[in-house]
Amino acid sequence: MKFWLDEYATLDSPLHRWEPRYKLIALLTLIFAFAFVTNLWLIPAMVLITSIIFAMSRLPFGFLISRLRYPGAFLLMIVLIVPFLSGQTALFAIGPLTMHTEGMMLAIMIIARFSTILTVSLVLFGTSPFLHTVRAMYALGLPGILTDMVLFFYRYLSDLAESLATMQRAMRLRGFQLQRLNQQNLGQLAALAGTMLIRSQEQSERVYHAMLLRGYGKAPRPRDGFDLRSNDALALYGILMIAATIVIANIVLTG
Amino acid sequence: MHISDGVLPVAVCAAGYATAALGTWYSLHNINKQEVPQEGIPKASLLAAGFFVISWIHIPIPPTSVHLLLNGLIGAVLGFYAFPAILLALFFQAVMFQHGGLTTLGVNATIIGGSAMLAHLIFQSAKRMRIAQPEKRIGTAVTGFVAGAGTIGVAALMLFTVLILSLSSAIDPAAERAAISVAVLAYVPMMLIEGLFTMATFLFLLRVKPSLLGFSTTPALAVAPEPIRTNVTEQQ
Repeated sequence: MKFWLDEYATLDSPLHRWEPRYKLIALLTLIFAFAFVTNLWLIPAMVLITSIIFAMSRLPFGFLISRLRYPGAFLLMIVLIVPFLSGQTALFAIGPLTMHTEGMMLAIMIIARFSTILTVSLVLFGTSPFLHTVRAMYALGLPGILTDMVLFFYRYLSDLAESLATMQRAMRLRGFQLQRLNQQNLGQLAALAGTMLIRSQEQSERVYHAMLLRGYGKAPRPRDGFDLRSNDALALYGILMIAATIVIANIVLTG
Repeated sequence: MHISDGVLPVAVCAAGYATAALGTWYSLHNINKQEVPQEGIPKASLLAAGFFVISWIHIPIPPTSVHLLLNGLIGAVLGFYAFPAILLALFFQAVMFQHGGLTTLGVNATIIGGSAMLAHLIFQSAKRMRIAQPEKRIGTAVTGFVAGAGTIGVAALMLFTVLILSLSSAIDPAAERAAISVAVLAYVPMMLIEGLFTMATFLFLLRVKPSLLGFSTTPALAVAPEPIRTNVTEQQ
């Protein structure tokens, strides 16, 4: 099973060439600046900045659309509920339900924040090999235990996904059909989950012993090892300035 | 049961990160107390990946199907590693599937990781009170059900409290309480399914690999073993 994370990491663009630590700081700051926005007048600026960053990354537009599909259902639910739940100024009524102006504006704000943050985070994780991004997180102070866990998780996720798919195929070949939930099906699904956990644990023991033989945990790893160019710092300061401007503009506009 | 990016105000996201940092610190602090802290890392990571994969299994609830959260099972199996494991799984869900989000990672980790730690406490208490034991299948099954269903209930309560308090600034407190109650009640079928699934998985693990639940696999010896003979010539 393949995951998309490194699918476009080898393209050539300014975002791909940006040093991962600086890119991580800059784009995460921008993401939180977008999350700070509550004023509707700032939405065009957010969309413009996001569009420029996405265009510079040279990631395919179809890729962005495909990534928006999955969280769309949750967002749709929020957007359908919020105009009825939040606010006091009635816009119109559908039966016993009243849609409010404030709720409607909040729903528009949520859509704008969601789509811009998601696009920037796709650029952040899609324009560097994932392992480089993890190295950058470690260099920026992520604890060693968490870094190791991220790397192990990423390394063995596809293996375990393959293992689950194989077991499910084998169950179907033996006549297992999951049309509805009953006691027997529940027991078989629990056995499937339990077997997955046992396989994961047994594999982890083999991996740990193999890593011990290679000296795992004996010496601390260095937290640096990146090559810096002057353009990297310039781009970082540029994005930090943009993020600060968005936050200040939001404070000024909302009074 | 994940809140997406853009939904919550930035102050709530920051508070979520603060509580998640506290939870992670507490977990890492307890992990570092172990004799060899690295020993549990591959186990916790691979089991976290295993849980992540298991949560893709569709459970049919006509006319739709649901995914399991498994935070009760994660808490019981991983103990103090549960919080960082859930943080990790949520991070991967956010970057791989855009399910949840980077700004809401702290809030989501607090809700799901916090409830998993509650499951850990429930399971440890049941073990101490000798309710959950290898030879007590019913007690272990009941503990599994309580851990599975209870943590979903707690997580749903936290989730909807955060969502409704953050999004509905202009409605009266009574309406807010009613909205939270209705939303949590809608999760009751999910609580039952998670509880039954956790119970069935507990019973499976008890039969096949009790060490995963922290039970000893070495049966108590009825007769004490003979001492090792250090010098054969002494006996001659």
